[in-house]
Amino acid sequence: MSSSKRKAPQPKVVFEGVSKTFKKKGEPLEVLSAIDLTVDEGEFVCLLGPSGCGKSTLLNIAGGFERPTRGSVKIDGAEIVAPSSKRVFVFQEYGIFPWASVWDNVVLGIRHKSKAEQHRIVGEVIELVGLEGFERAYPMELSGGMKQRVEVARALAVEPDVLFMDEPFGALDSLTRLTLRTELLRIWNERKPTILFVTHDVDEAMQLAERIVVFSARPGRIAEIVSVDMPHPRDIGGVEYGNIKNRLYELLGVTHMI
Amino acid sequence: MIVSILALVASAAVLFYAKRMSAHVQEWALPVCVAAGLIALWDIACIVSGSEVFPSPLDTVYAFRELIESQRLWGDVAASLFRVTWGFLLAAGIGIPLGLVVGWSTRTFRALNPIIQGLRPISPIAWIPIAILWFGIGDGAGVFLIFLSSFFPITVGTMAAVRNISLVHQRSALNFGVRRFELFRRVVLPAALPQIITSLRIALGVAWLVIVAAEMVGMDTGLGYLINDARNAGSRYDLVVATMILIGLIGILLDFLIRRLEVFDEVRWGYTQR
Repeated sequence: MSSSKRKAPQPKVVFEGVSKTFKKKGEPLEVLSAIDLTVDEGEFVCLLGPSGCGKSTLLNIAGGFERPTRGSVKIDGAEIVAPSSKRVFVFQEYGIFPWASVWDNVVLGIRHKSKAEQHRIVGEVIELVGLEGFERAYPMELSGGMKQRVEVARALAVEPDVLFMDEPFGALDSLTRLTLRTELLRIWNERKPTILFVTHDVDEAMQLAERIVVFSARPGRIAEIVSVDMPHPRDIGGVEYGNIKNRLYELLGVTHMI
Repeated sequence: MIVSILALVASAAVLFYAKRMSAHVQEWALPVCVAAGLIALWDIACIVSGSEVFPSPLDTVYAFRELIESQRLWGDVAASLFRVTWGFLLAAGIGIPLGLVVGWSTRTFRALNPIIQGLRPISPIAWIPIAILWFGIGDGAGVFLIFLSSFFPITVGTMAAVRNISLVHQRSALNFGVRRFELFRRVVLPAALPQIITSLRIALGVAWLVIVAAEMVGMDTGLGYLINDARNAGSRYDLVVATMILIGLIGILLDFLIRRLEVFDEVRWGYTQR
């Protein structure tokens, strides 16, 4: 692709010296230390690291649910101080409301729009995630994968510019996870939101991300940022894939041979 | 006597062969047999002991008929149900909104929780003298006592339900800009509703226990008073036992009615998962 045709990447989410210290039994515990990171508009970035490396905390700070101890997160140049429906969080444990039907869940973020608009948008995103015919169902009647689709549909309904995904497929079985990753990529290609995706699964990061931010633990620091310059669909059995994967395992300090 | 022994043997036999019955038949056959067996034992015990005062099952059936024919029974049933209904509705009407607010607002919780927890262990029965002092002997005191006995389970149950709302649901609401009154209507109330219904159920059960005791001590109508009256008016223990059984049946009916609340789609999730 020639550089003249492609727009120069615009920085979308900018982390500057983000640190976070929790008090644990009176002792300060630093979970994030001076994180600097720039995510471009429309980019798909995975935050990869072991449990407890602070990657979820970083995402919560970017989502506006927590405040950093030092440093700042800016989106489009404005510092994040509170959550907003322009940037939607997709949770691992189901954040959709079990007391509301699929339709009522998806409509949550666009409840102030006209009924006609609601119908158009909900119909559209429900089709996008493949849940046609389940609009009147309640979450308890759906499988785990379908619930997660509802959550993604609810997020897409507000046409967010940024999606924060905190191990969104973590609770699903491995086949459903694969399917949903493919669908997420399709949706990302169609709508091009900026996606920050937290995972501890090396393959998941490899299959999804354009760039993988690898974290080291306690306190959480960026060990390295690995680019995955492979077009989709990616050959997950190929040599290039294998080489990047080995590099990731090395960075995480675990063996890739069992 | 012979009939009872036969019934006892028959129900024992049915229970013994229960394994061969289908699940559907077991569902009604087993409890019917246990009930029949217990009634038979009751009858045998009466005959063996030769008690003049304690009624046999048959005496109780006659007593039932006497109660129904006497006309006064319906007045007493109505009096008890009236007190329970109004006391309970009043408690729900105040307890649920109060529990929602106290459960949600940390400052209100800090201010009110100690007082609520301090008043809660005082038995409603202990309030009877004060209830009579304030409202006199009659419905007012009954409604007040039922209000007290339902108010605490409902308020505390609602508070606990609200404080249990998952962080993920709170953050979802926050993320989509749901706040203030809308937050209560769209998230806090529906999230707490299954547990609120459970606390209503507990409260109604307690209310039905308390009203009988209250009527025995401090009222001159109602099923509790009927029991006391039957004993005082010539040791009519047959009427006492018949009334007790009726109290049990109405209690089952009340619980059945309030359980209808649990089947709605909006709350069903709270009873199947978790």
